[in-house]
Amino acid sequence: MKISSFSYLIRQGFKGIWRNKMMTFASFCILLVSLIMVGFSILISINLDKIIGNIEEQSEVAVVVRDKVTNTEMIQLQTKIEEIPNVTEVDLYSRDQAWKDMMDKMTDAQKDYFKYADENPLPDVFRLKVKDIQKLNDTTSQIETFEGVESVQAPKEFADMLINFRRIFIIVAIAIVVALVLVSLIIISNTTRASVFTRRKEINIMKYVGATNSFIRIPFFIEGMLVGLVASVCALIITKFSYEGVYNILTHEHKLFGFFGFNNIYSFDSMFLAVTISYLVAGAFIGAIGTSISTGKHLKV
Amino acid sequence: MVEFKDVSVTYSSGVDALNKVNLKINDGDFAFVVGPSGAGKSTLIKLILKEIDATTGTVLVNGYNLRKLRRRKVPALRRTIGVVFQDFRLIPTMTVYENIAFVLRVIDAPAKYIRSRVPYVISLVGLSKKAKSYPTELSGGEQQRVALARALVNDPQLIIADEPTGNIDPELSYEIVELLKGINECGTTILMVTHEHDLVRYFGGRIININKGSIQFDEVIGGSNEDK
Repeated sequence: MKISSFSYLIRQGFKGIWRNKMMTFASFCILLVSLIMVGFSILISINLDKIIGNIEEQSEVAVVVRDKVTNTEMIQLQTKIEEIPNVTEVDLYSRDQAWKDMMDKMTDAQKDYFKYADENPLPDVFRLKVKDIQKLNDTTSQIETFEGVESVQAPKEFADMLINFRRIFIIVAIAIVVALVLVSLIIISNTTRASVFTRRKEINIMKYVGATNSFIRIPFFIEGMLVGLVASVCALIITKFSYEGVYNILTHEHKLFGFFGFNNIYSFDSMFLAVTISYLVAGAFIGAIGTSISTGKHLKV
Repeated sequence: MVEFKDVSVTYSSGVDALNKVNLKINDGDFAFVVGPSGAGKSTLIKLILKEIDATTGTVLVNGYNLRKLRRRKVPALRRTIGVVFQDFRLIPTMTVYENIAFVLRVIDAPAKYIRSRVPYVISLVGLSKKAKSYPTELSGGEQQRVALARALVNDPQLIIADEPTGNIDPELSYEIVELLKGINECGTTILMVTHEHDLVRYFGGRIININKGSIQFDEVIGGSNEDK
């Protein structure tokens, strides 16, 4: 296609917006609402995912060390544990420290009971955190094989529950987003159908004079895309201010939410680029495709 | 050139619109297609434009075998044909100039060619002063002349005029046919469907009479205008 033809088609797209002001406005409003709904669904999803991730990171594994392990052996064991790729942090909770902490928590009567104990019965323990909770079983099995390890205690059931919860959560989140996108596409294609219907005569004439389907579609496509882009910019502004409002409430004004891990959610600025690109792409895509769907019906002449 | 070989069309409703029609219209011919409503005239046009396909038989138009022509090649076929409709079918939001230029834009013609060709064609139909008018500002006869210019601008091999005089004053009808005759003299094949027997008798030429899906009569007659 020649540049002059392409610029003509782009001009036609702009003219179309002006000619069908009411329909354009209706499409714009629907797209705006759809984008905000989809956008917030995604933002809520990724934040919930982060909160679950934080909970996962906090789950701890305890490696109980056998009695009578020498200091050198202890250091070797720590090094071996640290070398496991899935392990992030390793802290030694020594038997002496554990004994002291236990004593501190005891009442005097309880302490009396241990007064004559000639030896500290507690073991040395390595406390460690894992990167990926899904690999928890593999990591613990590996540690169990190390020399000097008595046992490994890990919150396996809790981990399984979290893994399952996260899996279901991801499926539900994707389903909701896909459903919202589909509903938006259907509504947009129905709204633009009315505007296309008023121009079916024009489309019909184009077909008779030998216009290709793409030639007929391009102005409608551009029209839909422009409406989509304007709607996404507006949706972005609304999302930014609403999100920041909610963010401030959760992180600053009501610190109680921090107990549930809500203080760890993403700030809007950290997601600004991703959100902007997603909105612009989604707006242009839904606008353009929605219009194309309704145009297609009139092309079969 | 248009050629029908044993062409039959049966619609899904079971109606036989055309029945084993054989017809040949050579390049440069001018033919009137006449016949009562429901005779099969519209079906004939729809076949030529490949709006519908023949149930049996072969349709050849300007070198294309329409049975073998793929959907995506239909625009190429239609670019060799100019169509004039009874109801003009002009785009109301475009001026006379834009309505005509539009056809050239569709076929991706260079902007420079559009700028020279469109005013020329508008002058051929005598509407130079109305180039910037909108269709609603024109009379029926003028609108049909715009439609004719639009059919002509692309320099097609064949022009199909479907009842072009049906919506305009009788005295203007002669003017339209005169224009079509003039275009024909430049080598374009013209196929004009009409109800108006007076017009046919006046101009004469090749007359194809269709009735009940068959060709009843296909002959050349002398026109009364030749007697004058």
